[in-house]
Amino acid sequence: MGHQDPSSSSPSQSHPSSSTDSPSSIVKTYHRLLTEDPELTMPVAAIEALILLLSEVSAETVYETLDLVKTQSDYLKSQIPNAISLSAGTDLFQRYLLSSLNPRNTSGTFESVRQHLVNNGRLFASRAKAGRDRIAMYGRHIVPEGSVVMTHGGSRVVGALLSKVAEESASGEIVSFRVIYVMNDARSSESKAVVASLRAKGVPVATIPEGAVGYAMGKVDLVMVGAEGVVENGGIISRLGTYQIGLLAKAAEKPFYVAAESHKFVRLYPLDQFDLGFDQEVINFTTNSGSEPDKTPTKGSEKHDYFSTAALSHAKPAVDAVDYTPPGCVTALITESGVLTPGAVSEELINVWW
Amino acid sequence: MPSSNPAHPPAEAPAPSSDPPKLTGPELKKAKQAEKAARRAQAVLEKGQPPPAAPRTSTAQNAEGGKAAKGQQQRRVSNAAAPIKNMPIRSQKAQPVVEEPAVEDKTVEVYRHLRKPRTTGLAGANKDVHSAVLALGLQMSDYTICGSSARLVATLQAFKKVIQSYTTPPGNTLTRHFTSHVLSPQIEYLSSCRPLSISMGNAIRWLKLEISKVDIDTPDHEAKNGLCDAIDNFIRERVTLAGRVIAGSAAEKIRHGDVILTFAKSSVVQRALVQAHESGKRFSVISVDDRPLHEGKHLKDALINLGMDVTYCPSAAMSESMKRATKVLLGAHAMMSNGRLYSRAGTAKVGMEANTANVPVLVLCETIKFTERAVLDSIPHNEIPPADELALFGGATENWRDIKGLQLCDPLYDVTPADFIQMIVTESGRVPPTSVPVLHRLGNESQV
Repeated sequence: MGHQDPSSSSPSQSHPSSSTDSPSSIVKTYHRLLTEDPELTMPVAAIEALILLLSEVSAETVYETLDLVKTQSDYLKSQIPNAISLSAGTDLFQRYLLSSLNPRNTSGTFESVRQHLVNNGRLFASRAKAGRDRIAMYGRHIVPEGSVVMTHGGSRVVGALLSKVAEESASGEIVSFRVIYVMNDARSSESKAVVASLRAKGVPVATIPEGAVGYAMGKVDLVMVGAEGVVENGGIISRLGTYQIGLLAKAAEKPFYVAAESHKFVRLYPLDQFDLGFDQEVINFTTNSGSEPDKTPTKGSEKHDYFSTAALSHAKPAVDAVDYTPPGCVTALITESGVLTPGAVSEELINVWW
Repeated sequence: MPSSNPAHPPAEAPAPSSDPPKLTGPELKKAKQAEKAARRAQAVLEKGQPPPAAPRTSTAQNAEGGKAAKGQQQRRVSNAAAPIKNMPIRSQKAQPVVEEPAVEDKTVEVYRHLRKPRTTGLAGANKDVHSAVLALGLQMSDYTICGSSARLVATLQAFKKVIQSYTTPPGNTLTRHFTSHVLSPQIEYLSSCRPLSISMGNAIRWLKLEISKVDIDTPDHEAKNGLCDAIDNFIRERVTLAGRVIAGSAAEKIRHGDVILTFAKSSVVQRALVQAHESGKRFSVISVDDRPLHEGKHLKDALINLGMDVTYCPSAAMSESMKRATKVLLGAHAMMSNGRLYSRAGTAKVGMEANTANVPVLVLCETIKFTERAVLDSIPHNEIPPADELALFGGATENWRDIKGLQLCDPLYDVTPADFIQMIVTESGRVPPTSVPVLHRLGNESQV
């Protein structure tokens, strides 16, 4: 998407004098950032990678800078098979650059803005983490005492939220809520890590396979999931399996909450599962009975493995796949700026992009 | 209803007559006046004139009855003599009216508040109405210029001519004189030809604001040119470019192998389909259409000329077609601030069918068509064209006015609930129906 015009991208890619910013370096930086800090989310890592890039190159004009950031963002996106979450960060950063470099809006010169950005590169990351803590604060009001929470996937926000609730509600040894964790065979080590950490905090956790979601729904008081991206209509892009949990929760009239930082809001508006802008190869028709995809063991719990093996993802589909949960299934989104209805996401995005 | 049953007043008469007359000075005077009025009314009746404008008896009789009744029934206690004298006259009058079948009210009750006579000729038009606006009004009233965007553009173009032919009278300024003395009669005339569309309302509000912003010291020709330029810009930004952006954005959503269902005709939908077709996507179109305007025909013809694969189907047969459809693209007359779509009558049915069949519905709508109004159904706000437009010539309803008990109901618009709409494609991006008020505020009210 975006610029396919090679003439516009080649000059800026070849422009910077130093050899450190060959196109692949942004991807390397991005992966390095994710590896170094497992708490970092993809959009924030993308923003940080772009800021590091800015500090290394010597773009002198506003246009040059914007062009560079755009081409590098597009390159980064093209190198990652599922760039939804990432693009939320790069888009936000470009938007931020545009407004702060606009001579009408800024009091300082171009150079001062650039310096400010470079010096405060870590600010995005620390703000993002602070955001996560604020989301966790809201959790107290969402998870009532004695409730049973169903969750799945390895969302750090949900993890932080549940931990916070556990800390606050703990009276002695007993935590006042319980968790039903939906296990995914393909990503079992990640799931086990989450379950272990919750149990360490004294939260009673039951693990169920994905096939038992409907069975267990009757015991559940609320569903809480994380998201890779929150799309314009308030729906979410999340780990494969979220949609079916959302549908079952809706059928059972259980509230379905999404915990996500607002930097995950992404300008994307899918109409259905197959409208995400990339091919997932989840559904493969075949007549070859021997070609049933074997359950590939996951490569460890850390997030960066997802990306280092992502290039091979065609060989093992469905492990890293995502699905789209429409806004009709979502009760509310818990963000650092408050608990929002799905409709409010669009308003927030309009306010940023208008 | 005094109008529908003129036999009622005599029945009421005995009640006041039984009251004992106690007359004071002023009351006597009133009684005399009433008597006079009654005599006058009788004189009129004796000439044998039927009430004028027979189909609109409600207003005619109200006016007439009101005149006579004012003096009598409201002060029935005091001047009992007058009604007694008067009532026989009224019952005499009632005789011929009962025999006239034209008294039957042919309007549908729930829509009665919306029915307005339409100006279809030049007779009676305000002398201040500019010739370009006169012509436009006629074109609108017979649907030669039809569709929210087309009417908006045509109106603004006509207003440009009005502005250009305007000279500020001595002792006045354009800012203060033009809107109230020149623009208002034009608008009034246009709305008498056909109720103004929401987009026209938004644009007129904008234009009035632009005029009020003109500095009173600006020379006439400069101010006029400035306003015309502003109108041109407005059309370019809010309609032309907006349409292009929307079409491009919607065309992106059309995929290879899609079956796009659309209803009636929207210029933006047509443009989106054409653009998707020209970008090499292969998809087919189901054009659903309905009486009485049959706007879908034009869409079908335009698409077929481009070599596209089109199925043309009446809305009655839509449910089968809906099973094949993968997306529904709808145009809009207006988007209400509660996210409901106000569009050509029949759209709500398409939305419902699509929702039942789980087919996503996309509404293509410029933000100029957004309104702060919120409606729940199509009754409070709608447009009721003269019922004769619906009558099939040569068909069973040709002489529908003579058929007792028959009413024709033909609202031009209906309201589609927000739940049926997955996406609204605007020039400011794709938004869910819940964001209509936000975009309206930013797009239409930020300038006001």
